[in-house]
Amino acid sequence: MPDAAQSIVDFLTRLTAALGVNATVNVEETAAGPRINLAGEEAEILVRHRGEPLKALQHVVDMAYGRTLPDDQRVFVDALEYRKGKDAELRQMAKLLAEKVKQTGLDQQLGPLNPYERRIVHLAVAELPGVTTESVGDAFSKTVLISLRK
Amino acid sequence: MSETRGVRAVVEVLARALTDQPDHVRVTESQYKATTLVELYVAPGDLGKVIGKQGRTAAALRTLASTAGERDGKTVMLEIRDMPYKG
Repeated sequence: MPDAAQSIVDFLTRLTAALGVNATVNVEETAAGPRINLAGEEAEILVRHRGEPLKALQHVVDMAYGRTLPDDQRVFVDALEYRKGKDAELRQMAKLLAEKVKQTGLDQQLGPLNPYERRIVHLAVAELPGVTTESVGDAFSKTVLISLRK
Repeated sequence: MSETRGVRAVVEVLARALTDQPDHVRVTESQYKATTLVELYVAPGDLGKVIGKQGRTAAALRTLASTAGERDGKTVMLEIRDMPYKG
């Protein structure tokens, strides 16, 4: 494992110990960066309140270790594959709406999405032919518009 | 490092990871009525690191401190101090 990923794993091991959470820190190295998942029943504490603690943890890890990774990589922190599941759901929803656009010819848009979520939608819809995506909305509330490719 | 578990320990681990001078990180925990007051002291140059843009890091620390308290049934209040730790 690269040093950067190892330090993040060490940090998360110390943190779970401090939380008194019995969890295993699993790492998967991908081209986009290390994907870390905390496994073990007690990691559930991080996904309460709609995963707010997990979001906070991702922010702290980005701040503390983001710069130690190569420029084109980002670390992804998950617990009980909560975010992985949420991302898959969003991808599915995006593709469903894209199919609807193809059938009806009408534009579709999702609810307010953060930059990370918008990226997922853009990438998911890009896999389908005949439809295109565009980010719309102001700085505070943006979403993705799916429409027929002209 | 003192205790290895609890709200104090959690804030300490987080603050040490964020700061340039982890050795200057001090965390105290005290009880005030139903609330656990956690005070975080860092080197003056590291204050920005634990607060972050728009206070986002401070908010993240508060969230995680509360999570740590949740395990022990504690309500946690985290204060970041801009003065050196004394005593």
